[in-house]
Parts: sequence; C-alpha cells; structure tokens
Amino acid sequence: MILNGVEIRDNFAEAFPMVGTRLIITADTPEWAMIAGRTTTGFATSVIGCGCEAAVEAVLAPEETPDGRPGVAIMIFAMDFKSLKSVVPLRLGQCVLTCPTTACYAGVETGKRVPLAKTIRYFADGHQISKKIGDKRFWRMPVMEGEFVCDEDTGSVEGVGGGNFLILARTRGAALAASEAAVRAMGAVRGIILPFPGGVVRSGSKVGSKYKGLFASTNGAYCPTLRGVVDSALPPEVGSVLEIVIDGESFTAVAEATRVGISAVCDVGAAGGIVAVDAGNYGGNLGPYHFKLREIMGATP
Amino acid sequence: MSGIVLRPRASLEARVDLTGIVPDKLAGLGLSEIEHLSVPHGGRSATLADLFFVSRAPDGVVVIEIGDERLDHVGAGMAAGEIFVDGPVGAWAGLAMSGGILRISGNAGDFAGAELSGGRIDIAGNAGGHAGGASSGSRRGLSGGVLRIAGSVGTRAAARQRGGLIVVLGNAGDGLATDMIAGTTCVHGTLGALTGRGMKRGTVLCRNAPELPAGFVDTGTHDLIALRLLSRRVAELGEMIGAATSARRLVGDTLLGGQGEVLVV
Repeated sequence: MILNGVEIRDNFAEAFPMVGTRLIITADTPEWAMIAGRTTTGFATSVIGCGCEAAVEAVLAPEETPDGRPGVAIMIFAMDFKSLKSVVPLRLGQCVLTCPTTACYAGVETGKRVPLAKTIRYFADGHQISKKIGDKRFWRMPVMEGEFVCDEDTGSVEGVGGGNFLILARTRGAALAASEAAVRAMGAVRGIILPFPGGVVRSGSKVGSKYKGLFASTNGAYCPTLRGVVDSALPPEVGSVLEIVIDGESFTAVAEATRVGISAVCDVGAAGGIVAVDAGNYGGNLGPYHFKLREIMGATP
Repeated sequence: MSGIVLRPRASLEARVDLTGIVPDKLAGLGLSEIEHLSVPHGGRSATLADLFFVSRAPDGVVVIEIGDERLDHVGAGMAAGEIFVDGPVGAWAGLAMSGGILRISGNAGDFAGAELSGGRIDIAGNAGGHAGGASSGSRRGLSGGVLRIAGSVGTRAAARQRGGLIVVLGNAGDGLATDMIAGTTCVHGTLGALTGRGMKRGTVLCRNAPELPAGFVDTGTHDLIALRLLSRRVAELGEMIGAATSARRLVGDTLLGGQGEVLVV
C-alpha cells in the first residue's frame, strides 16, 4: 500500500491491556489549567520507568467543565488497578493540589473507583468539608490560597496501551515535521493520549538487553546508524525514524488515532521526505491487541 | 408493582395513618386486597375501602385525589415508586423514605421528610415544624435524598440533618439546622432566630445573614469554587446560587466544637 508516495508497510502495532482514568482539572485561566495538567502528567512516558503513562488528552472550554472554568482533561494509565490507585492520588496531591486556582473532578463515571480526595483530604487536617448530593461526593480542602475542591473519586476504564506507528524519513527534520503534523491531527481524537515528550518517541525500544537487569534497550533494527551492523529494517534512503505511541480508553479510539496520525504523515508525503510508515511489535505473541496498518488505512473514516 | 387512586368517600372525621400505603408495599396485591388493607383511623382502624374509593392507577403509582391535613404518614417508608397528593397532608409525610418520589400539591404538617434517606419529596405549599428533621427520640434527621418545599417551613427544620439536601423557597422558622450533623439546607427567604445552634458540620445556604448563636465566627467573604460547582451540579442549588462565586462564611457552632457553616450568598 502506498499513500502519497509513502509506503504503508504490511505490519501491525502490538498493544497491551492497561487500566486508566481521566481527570478534569480546572483553573481560573486556561494557562494555569494546562500547567496543572502538564505537571500532573510529567515523568509519565512509559510504565517501564515511570510507573504510569499519562498526558493531557484535551483542552476543555468552560462550558465543558463541572465548575464552568477553563480546564484540561488528562488521562493516566497503569498496568494494573492497584498501580493506578497508587499513582493517581500521589500525582493529584503533589501536582494539582499544589497548583494555584485548580480544582479536580472525575472524568470517568463507570468502572472501579480510583480515589482522589478520598485519599488526599487528610491534608486539610480535620478542616476538610465533604459534600454529597445524590451519588456524588466532593471535598473542599482549605488551603492558603482559598479552597481546593476535588471529587471523592473517579471511575476507570480497561484500555489499551502501546499502540504505535513509526515514521521512516529521509532526514531527522523530515521525520520531526511529519511527527508534529501527526500529533497535531491526533489531538482532535478523544479518548487517547500520546504520553511521550510532545507525543513523539525517538528512542523506540526492543524487549530485553545484552545487559542483565535491563528490560528494554534500543531498537537496533530501526537505528539508521546501525544499518549493516544489525539486521536492519531500514532501506538505504532512511536517515531518521520517529515513533508515535498511543494509549487509549478503547481499541477503537487507538485505531482511530492511528488512522488520523498516519493520514497526517501521508499528507506530508514523499515530497516531504517521508519514506514509509511501519509499526512496532513483538511477533504478535505478547500483546492481545493488533493494529494492522493496512487494514486501518484501508478503512474509510 | 400495583398502582391505586384513593378518593375520599367523605371528609375525614379523624386522623388517618397511611403508613404502608406506598407503591413498593402494594406490589403484587389485587385491588380487592388493597381495599381491605387496614389503616389506623382515630382511635380505631378502618379499611381503605371504608374511607376511600379505590381504583386502579398505573403500576408503581399511588394517587390521593383529594388531600386532607388529617392524612398522616403519607409516603412513610416508601422505597420506590411515586405518590401524588392533590391537596394538603398531615404530619410525618415521607417519614424515613428511602427512595421514590412524593409530590404534594398543598401544605404538609410537622415532620415532613423527617429522616428521609433517599428519593425526593416536593411540597408545593408550606411545611410545619421539624421538616427534614429527626423524629421524636431519634438522633438523626434527613440523611439523603432531596426535600424541596416551595413555601415556608416552621421551627427546627433540618434539625440533626445528617446529609442530603433541603431546599426552602420561602422562609424558615426559628432553630433551623439545630444540631445539624452534615448535609445542605438552602433557604431563599428569611431565617428565624438561633439558626445553627449546636451545628457540628453541614452547610446552610441563605441570602441574608441570619441572627446566629454566639458560637458562630465570621470568616469573611470568599471566592468559593464550590459555589460554581454546586450551582451547576445541583439544579436545586443553582436556583439560588446562580452565577454567584463568592459568599460570606460563618462557621459554628464553635462553642460545641462544631465546624458547620452558614454561607450567605
């Protein structure tokens, strides 16, 4: 399959089950909401080293948030529910509670409950105020700036982590430009996040290492400077490869994001220095979710 | 769930206790069985058919076509279904309801919505004393659900309230939220004396600062994000809060170690 001069390789991305949740963070201004969102999802690129994967999912207009202020939706994914219950309150307490003017609300209503203020309310030292009306409880915690308002807990989803595609380009600049175009386009898809810096990974990994104790190491098959040294997946004209990794609340959301991202890369096309789009997998035996590139790109939007 | 319409045969000569005449407890009963249900009537008892013309209504619905202030315990103990009363009711309307909807188009007597733990009560008229409070000897008042009174309430409404929401569109009598433990009470009109005496936790929302016991302290006026949230999340509170973002916060009853609050919006 060739789209606008870009080869869509007959390959698939192999993804894994993850559990995730969504938080709605609001603030007095869009800037402070984004600061809180980015801080809360910082150091959360890969579960391998960060314990979770997280990023800002969407910017929310005031009419989309529970308190009518500007906000952002963030998503946090972990490998299991116990880990999720551990990392979410930690990040909430250190990054949202501390950020001026913010409030935090549940962004998922269904599924197992992940504690929010249920855990961190004790910071208020007995002055926390609970308010439960109907089935929803939130807490008001006095802080130096005023009050921090936070829902008791949020729901969770059984999502998909590790969806991906690789952009094979002639130059580093071309790979970066196509990646940026893909990230911009994928920003419109709800229910997914791109947890790596700016949504882009330059150091895709393979499983295992020659060094004892390392679970992952550089993906030599896609390193241009190792062409000829290892069993390379890169043709001679490829000078740089970047990867987009996608976590999402469902297979459908990740597949749609993949389609939108690859379409944006193909719009850059061969004229923009793009050679091919590929995907990372482990032979299909480890992850239950397979995103077949040609099937996805053959599907009509 | 069987539904019925009750139409009084004549003006009631004595008080009638309608405890148990609720949709969830009538479930599965035939019309004849329902007609022969016995209810306390003054010092004696009577069957429903002695007092009312009983006819079928949609499942899960009880309609009292002509209300009477001598009808006590209307909706008491209801867990599901709907009760509509066209006119006034007596005391203890909706006592200890845990679910369902009770709508009263007239006034209600004392203890309306007392110990409500779920569901919703709408009273189009006024309610007597102890609305949403605790019944005699009980430690806890309304603990869940919504009690909305379009008119005014008598003394000691929301006494020992433990949770849930009480909305009064009119005025509240003396002793509102006495010994309140938790929950929210919102009064659009004026508040009587000694509001919040013995309050431990909970919130009273009002428009004008009431006369409060000595144990209340004024923390000043604050921009409270919680107001924006409550206004949007809870329609009944949105009616009062509207676009307001700040409130004067009075905390008490500190003489008893309480941290309840009166928010003057």
